[in-house]
Amino acid sequence: MTKEELNRFGKSVFINCPFDKDYNELLKPLLFVLKKIGLFPRIASESLNSAEVRLEKIKRLILASKYSIHDLSRNYPKSLADPFRMNMPFELGLDYGCMEFHQVAVYKQKLMLILEDEPYSLKKAISDISFADCKHHKNDPERLVEEVRNWFSENGFDLIPGPTALWNDYNEFLSELYVRKIRDGFSSPQIETLPIPEFIRAIDHWITNGRNNE
Amino acid sequence: MSKRIHIIKRGAGWAVKTEGAKRASKIYASKVEAEGAVQVFRRQGYDVVVHKSNGFIQKWQKAK
Repeated sequence: MTKEELNRFGKSVFINCPFDKDYNELLKPLLFVLKKIGLFPRIASESLNSAEVRLEKIKRLILASKYSIHDLSRNYPKSLADPFRMNMPFELGLDYGCMEFHQVAVYKQKLMLILEDEPYSLKKAISDISFADCKHHKNDPERLVEEVRNWFSENGFDLIPGPTALWNDYNEFLSELYVRKIRDGFSSPQIETLPIPEFIRAIDHWITNGRNNE
Repeated sequence: MSKRIHIIKRGAGWAVKTEGAKRASKIYASKVEAEGAVQVFRRQGYDVVVHKSNGFIQKWQKAK
């Protein structure tokens, strides 16, 4: 772990989620809420180095993060021809293992949020986590914003804007992003599928410089 | 700096919100209804930004 990662441990959030196009509309508001709360989202797609082994990167992100959000809502195949998607439950297991078995005491402080689409849908598939109090987003970005925001509030974060204020801010941020990116030669679909590191930098810019500052 | 009015999903309805305001001015049952209601503001120099249910931009109607 780098010195910067060590300093940011208490404000870093490991995000374990799918990286397909369908999940884009949930991942991006999730990143926005975390940044608005003042946290550092850590996600495998935050950087791309083809020389880095993916599992090593995941382990590094888990070790660097006090908080984690595991979205297990997309484990099921879309059709009979598709395989089950096991990366997310596997990474949840790694994170849980880190908390339970790591020799360094700070990892006992880890806090995890498990997301599912519908209530109790996950427990049918992974009964080992039947102890866990999950939150469900119903595949609705607005609801995801509320659930994630409330989870951090429940875990001691004060002075967080309300769910509606965050959702409104996210929409207004996207309009600012639209203006800037259209000006820079992007199409609407390209703006919606902006690479994650670029999207995070755009959030940082909006938070730092304020809205509608063109 | 352009003035903007946003049409944003709010639960089962659609909120009309002036950019920077703390609260939405009104919630409509449908997006079409909300769009119709805000057209008057375009003549007052406001752009109308219609969002998709995921927050991204569906259309941007310039002030008249």
